[in-house]
Amino acid sequence: MPDTSTLLDRPRRWDQPFGRDMDDATVDRLLQVSPFREMTPAEFPAHLPLRDILKNDTRVVHYEDNDIVVRKGDYGNSAFLVLSGKVEVLLFDVPPSALGRRERRRRGLLRSIARLWTNPNLPEVRDRDRVRATAELAEADENVHMKILVQDLPIAIDPHSIASLSEGQLFGELAALGRIPRGATIRAAGGAELLEIRWQGLRDIRSRSATLRKTVDELYRKNALSVILRSHPLFKHLKTEELAEVTREATFETYGNFEWYGNYKQLLDAGPAERLAAEPVIAREGDHPDGLILIRAGFARVSRAFGHGSRTISYLGVNQMYGLEELVHSQKTDAPAPLQATLRAVGYVDILRIPTPVVQKFVLARLPREQVLKFVSYPRQLDSHSDASRAAPARTVDAPSGRATEATPSHAAPPPAASTALDPGTLEFLVDNRFINGVATMLIDTDRCTRCDDCVRACATAHDNNPRFIRHGPIYGHHMVTNACMHCADPVCMIGCPTGAIHRSAQGPVVIDDQTCIGCQTCANSCPYGNIRMVEVRDEGGEFIVDKRRLPILKATKCDLCVDEMGGPSCVRACPHDALQRIDMKDTQTMAQWLKR
Amino acid sequence: MKSSTTAATAAAGNRFGFFAMRRLRLAVATALVATAACLWLRARHLALRPDAFDSGWVLGVLVLLLAAYNLRKKLTFLPLGRSSTWLQLHIYLALLSVIAFAAHTHLRLPRGPLEIGLACLYLGVAGSGIAGLVLTRVLPVCLSTRGEEVIFERIPQFRRKLRILAEIAVLRSVTEADQTTLSDFYTRRLARFFAEPRNFWLHLFQSQRPRRRLLAELADLDRYLDPAEREIAADLRDLVEVKDDLDYHHALQATLKGWLFVHLPLTYGLLLVGAVHVVVVHAFRGGA
Repeated sequence: MPDTSTLLDRPRRWDQPFGRDMDDATVDRLLQVSPFREMTPAEFPAHLPLRDILKNDTRVVHYEDNDIVVRKGDYGNSAFLVLSGKVEVLLFDVPPSALGRRERRRRGLLRSIARLWTNPNLPEVRDRDRVRATAELAEADENVHMKILVQDLPIAIDPHSIASLSEGQLFGELAALGRIPRGATIRAAGGAELLEIRWQGLRDIRSRSATLRKTVDELYRKNALSVILRSHPLFKHLKTEELAEVTREATFETYGNFEWYGNYKQLLDAGPAERLAAEPVIAREGDHPDGLILIRAGFARVSRAFGHGSRTISYLGVNQMYGLEELVHSQKTDAPAPLQATLRAVGYVDILRIPTPVVQKFVLARLPREQVLKFVSYPRQLDSHSDASRAAPARTVDAPSGRATEATPSHAAPPPAASTALDPGTLEFLVDNRFINGVATMLIDTDRCTRCDDCVRACATAHDNNPRFIRHGPIYGHHMVTNACMHCADPVCMIGCPTGAIHRSAQGPVVIDDQTCIGCQTCANSCPYGNIRMVEVRDEGGEFIVDKRRLPILKATKCDLCVDEMGGPSCVRACPHDALQRIDMKDTQTMAQWLKR
Repeated sequence: MKSSTTAATAAAGNRFGFFAMRRLRLAVATALVATAACLWLRARHLALRPDAFDSGWVLGVLVLLLAAYNLRKKLTFLPLGRSSTWLQLHIYLALLSVIAFAAHTHLRLPRGPLEIGLACLYLGVAGSGIAGLVLTRVLPVCLSTRGEEVIFERIPQFRRKLRILAEIAVLRSVTEADQTTLSDFYTRRLARFFAEPRNFWLHLFQSQRPRRRLLAELADLDRYLDPAEREIAADLRDLVEVKDDLDYHHALQATLKGWLFVHLPLTYGLLLVGAVHVVVVHAFRGGA
């Protein structure tokens, strides 16, 4: 008989509601507001009533005039509904300093040299006054997790470069559902009352309520879809009305677990079969293709049946396509071609499915077959005898100059030739560990690395004598994926940062603004790869800086790819043996060439 | 055109391997430069010019350039090019310096303490450099193929952990089996093995004899053990293997780090004595 004092209720989804002040009266009020007014209780299952979703997954936030609601470039996990008042969308680029972001400038020659005598001897030394200012900022606002901690927007704004959103209008849903950066900065105009809906609630309401689904889908089609398709080389030749037809016919689907980083580590310990079983199938090998699939967010595994399992032949990221080869083959032979590989969601994936007749009408009938096939970014299975001639991509000497180069789009990597293809073991390793997320993954060739730690020392020198990575990590063959920030394509670490301290810099790398970091550990806990370290900071005298409760002040630290250094990442420059490289995992060709040197 | 050339180079690189191609290119370039330098010195010699001064200055400049690599390694924050590029220059300039040394000394035995000291220092630097190059190309591959990757500074920590695990296992054998067979063996053969890094030189020469001997001795004990002790002995065998791999990594990584402690002091010595040599020969050059 267990001791009853140790028995606990099993934690449940809504043990921690999103808003502390959401009472029944507030929910009653919300139910009278559009679009909730148009929803019927019958649309929601008994265990997930709309009332409970509103009570637990939303909160009412009041903004003063000129308060910033969302900042362009931030990753958010909630959408907003204007309950009263007005917000303004700033249709221009607000200077980072006006949004509370510190602009990082490259060090000049003199400042670089000065490091010889200015770098502190102790680890993690900070200016005490600056740390105090950040601590006071965090303390001053009890709702630290509710608002972005920047002061009023201190710049004059041209009234013609803003758009207004008023009562009943929804915004921020694309960033929340698609985990993409906020597309614009939005501020409150004259005070506004907003309903903030976290993505879990938004997802549940959207999946059950036709009203919200219609609203979100219309917003998506209106604001994003046509822009996405127009920018894609496969569709850019279309006229406006033709593009509108493609936009109308395309469907938007989501697969997998949005919070994939939660069970990532458990899945790593599981066997290959369990891992594959946890990845939802988007399209199955052998099935008839019902359209062209375009990856909009996240990653997908492309695999083929092999023995009693599946062998990964490639992975797809944003803007890459699946099913094109089969559609081309069907068109060519006038006979249906089944799908040659299975497509699975790795983590979560947003896709666009463009129906076969639309692809046939607007793409296959208009563009030369060979040009279309250049968009197949994984080893082709049909007509493989023609691969040799076709695979001479625009980058090779045999390709007709000019025209062929233009035909190869930058974001549709040409299919790999045998010498530049990743071997199956490496592919499985990279996909299973989700290293495919990396944009600047640090790879070390252990056959060449002499363990001299010049890379670590160079990193430390560039960061006030604090190394920002550990020369250790999972190894496949003789290549190590080091514990260094990969500056992910899907940077889950950025979700939930209450101050926006962790953000993607203008140059691309994900960086942490030390001055605005309040040490809440959200990013470190979210990073699936354990590449963000919390450190206890000291003052110049070596004393730990503590808060009023005598607890040490923490700061999140990680690799910043030496954005403010002359000459790029110090680690790469410091390696004497060509053993270390930062690699964009989307560029499989470059990676394969480096791995097979 | 540029992309075509790049593609052709890449294609050739794929056939021969990036490093082989680079080695070939740089070796050819070094041979050409060496030939040109030798012809120039020969021409100076035939023109009755003091070629010892020319070859000496060439050698001196080369040594300074070679020593500058260490400075580059310390100034990581300056955009002075990649360290790997510098290392390649370092290697091939060092080869040129060997040729310059031969031209300067005419391969004659040095005379006098200063010349002998200088020649010994140069040969020491060159020899340790060549040894270091071989070590840095051979040992990393060995490290990749055996044992778990471990950071050198953490090795003592892992060693301590293994020793504690081994001692716990041995103590368990005493309490569970009421026999001291394993504990006696531990005291006699394993206590020192687990306490410190062992078999440094044998590991360096890839010998596994000590490991096999220890494992064989442990296996020989089996006939005197009861089933519970045999399980503990199996655990001990696993620990011995892990510890041996750790020693292997310690030996190889220490060598990879340690050779520079020979190469660098000799280099500083060479620079110092070389400077004295320059002063002396110029002071006593007379009318040459």
